[in-house]
Amino acid sequence: MRRKHILSMAWQNMKQRRFRTFLTTLGVVIGITAIIGLASLGEGFRVTIQQQMEQGFELNLLTVLPGGLLTGVPGSFTDDDIQNISKIEGVTLATPLIQKSGVKLFSDDKTASPLVMLAVNFTEFWQIYPDRLIFEWGSLPQSTRNDTTVIGYNIQNPIEGWAFANAGQNLTIQTTLERRPLRVENRTFNLAGTLSKSGAAGFINFDDAVFIPIDTAQRLYNTTNSDMIFVRLADPSFSDSVAKAIEKRFEGQEDVRVLVPAAFLAQVDAILNMLQIFLTGIASIALLVAGLGIMNIMTVSVMERTREIGILKAIGARSRTILTMFLTEAALIGILGGLVGIPLGYGLAQVMGRFLFRFSAGIMPRRSLITGTTTRPLSEVSPILSPEWIIIAIIFAVGVSVIFGWYPARKAAKLDPVKALRYE
Amino acid sequence: MTSVLETRNVKRTYQMGNLTVSALRGVSLEIEEGDFVAILGPSGSGKSTLLHVLGGLDRPDEGEVLIDGTSLYTLNDNKRADVRLRKIGFVFQFFNLLPRLTALRNVELPLTLADVNEQESVKKAKEMLEIVGLGDRVTHRPTELSGGEQQRVAIARALINDPKIVLADEPTGNLDTSTGGEIVRLMQRLNKEKEQTFVVVTHDLDVAENADRILFLKDGIIQGEKKGVGDALH
Repeated sequence: MRRKHILSMAWQNMKQRRFRTFLTTLGVVIGITAIIGLASLGEGFRVTIQQQMEQGFELNLLTVLPGGLLTGVPGSFTDDDIQNISKIEGVTLATPLIQKSGVKLFSDDKTASPLVMLAVNFTEFWQIYPDRLIFEWGSLPQSTRNDTTVIGYNIQNPIEGWAFANAGQNLTIQTTLERRPLRVENRTFNLAGTLSKSGAAGFINFDDAVFIPIDTAQRLYNTTNSDMIFVRLADPSFSDSVAKAIEKRFEGQEDVRVLVPAAFLAQVDAILNMLQIFLTGIASIALLVAGLGIMNIMTVSVMERTREIGILKAIGARSRTILTMFLTEAALIGILGGLVGIPLGYGLAQVMGRFLFRFSAGIMPRRSLITGTTTRPLSEVSPILSPEWIIIAIIFAVGVSVIFGWYPARKAAKLDPVKALRYE
Repeated sequence: MTSVLETRNVKRTYQMGNLTVSALRGVSLEIEEGDFVAILGPSGSGKSTLLHVLGGLDRPDEGEVLIDGTSLYTLNDNKRADVRLRKIGFVFQFFNLLPRLTALRNVELPLTLADVNEQESVKKAKEMLEIVGLGDRVTHRPTELSGGEQQRVAIARALINDPKIVLADEPTGNLDTSTGGEIVRLMQRLNKEKEQTFVVVTHDLDVAENADRILFLKDGIIQGEKKGVGDALH
């Protein structure tokens, strides 16, 4: 018997039991809706996060930190360390940084706190982030002047239309020196410029930072060392080799950590991937339940149609024809469910992407505890439905339908025609 | 005349709970092409079982069934289904039409199974319904037809693939006497016109009346036979 005929017979059977077909298909629709909804939402979420992460990381940079805790522990990188790192193949620049938190800044009667103070070699550090650190006004301080400062966007513009300081003004930076007894130190700096919105790079938010020359900081803190080393690479492809070389250099002497943004991003990506698989896996349960529904309905259907199957066999239908007929019905239910479920799931994801995250944006902390960075809350996620997922969904829907339809279909095909004909 | 249907010592037992029922205890018969044969016997004599065995629906425990020289039960299931499709037509006591299909679709079914294209199968099915006198009932569903009409549809279905043998199981058993008579006359007319072999299992003497041959089945054995049109029982 030709496939076309089997298809039309299966379709006829389904049409004649409209309500039942509707209910059975609904199960598949719900399953596919859940899968597509979560998958496309997950994909959209992933891409959004990825974009935000990529904005926060320069892939051609490495950061060398003291081992152990992520931040806060004063590092002890020497000039020699920096020199050595600069010589590694693929490194174009290595520059030190001292980071101090809990800094207060005074401009006349205005105060800004708590801030992060970044003590850098201005010329070198601006080469590390040439695209990111753009001056709103002013310019890079001359390296010869040791009492100049640059402030981040949020410090200068805490609220719209209100400026913290004016060009060329003197600012007082108050730091707490970590000595016993604790001593508060006030020092005056000349404001060389303020930055445009720069965002966060890894764990440092430049918008909340006040920059001073590293020499000044070293004198202030009575040290020749630095907390971290920023390394610029000729190309992101050097990430791994340079990171390994740096780790090797410090091996046995000092516990260091090299932050590789590319690797970190890959890790985040892997986590998001897993999350997506996890969500989709949960959604698949719905489809499996739908499969059981198909099995149930088809078993009933086979019983109801026992006599009909007997007749078909008596007039010359092969067992295989009967099997194919029932499996075709199952497959049609799967296709139908998939075709309805995919747009439905995508629509659901659109709605969820618009409202769910808007709601959660309200309760999510705006300031990250770990990095101290303020991120724009995720207010909307645009779901992404890739063609792969459409194909996967259809295959999955048909697959589940056919697998669960197999048992009843086989039962139908194996019916003894004589018994089936006697069946009332 | 050559024999189109032959059985050799066919035995069939059923297990019904603890009870073993011997439905057929060694049936040997030979039916020639074009014959109208009635198998007569009381209920429980094994008539239906014999018919099912002849039609390739029920595998005998012993013995052989030859259709057109082919041993039916040495074929695999698919081949045997094909023999049922192309060489055998079934007519049942309870008509066994598919209730959801129209008369036309019911008659078309064997053609569909045989992969005849739709245009041709519709044409053939209409012709066949015309032949059995239901040219005006083409679009009716079984529930909209009388018993006699349903049996005519069933006969049309049995004959649509132009089978060599038509096997009928109590074709008048569910009809009143006059309608039953019409059905018997229809089958006999087709037997003459198309020269197809008819094997009719019945306990209705009227059916047997005009058969070429009557085989008497009792307790699963052919007890005897009579030949000759019309004179068998008179």
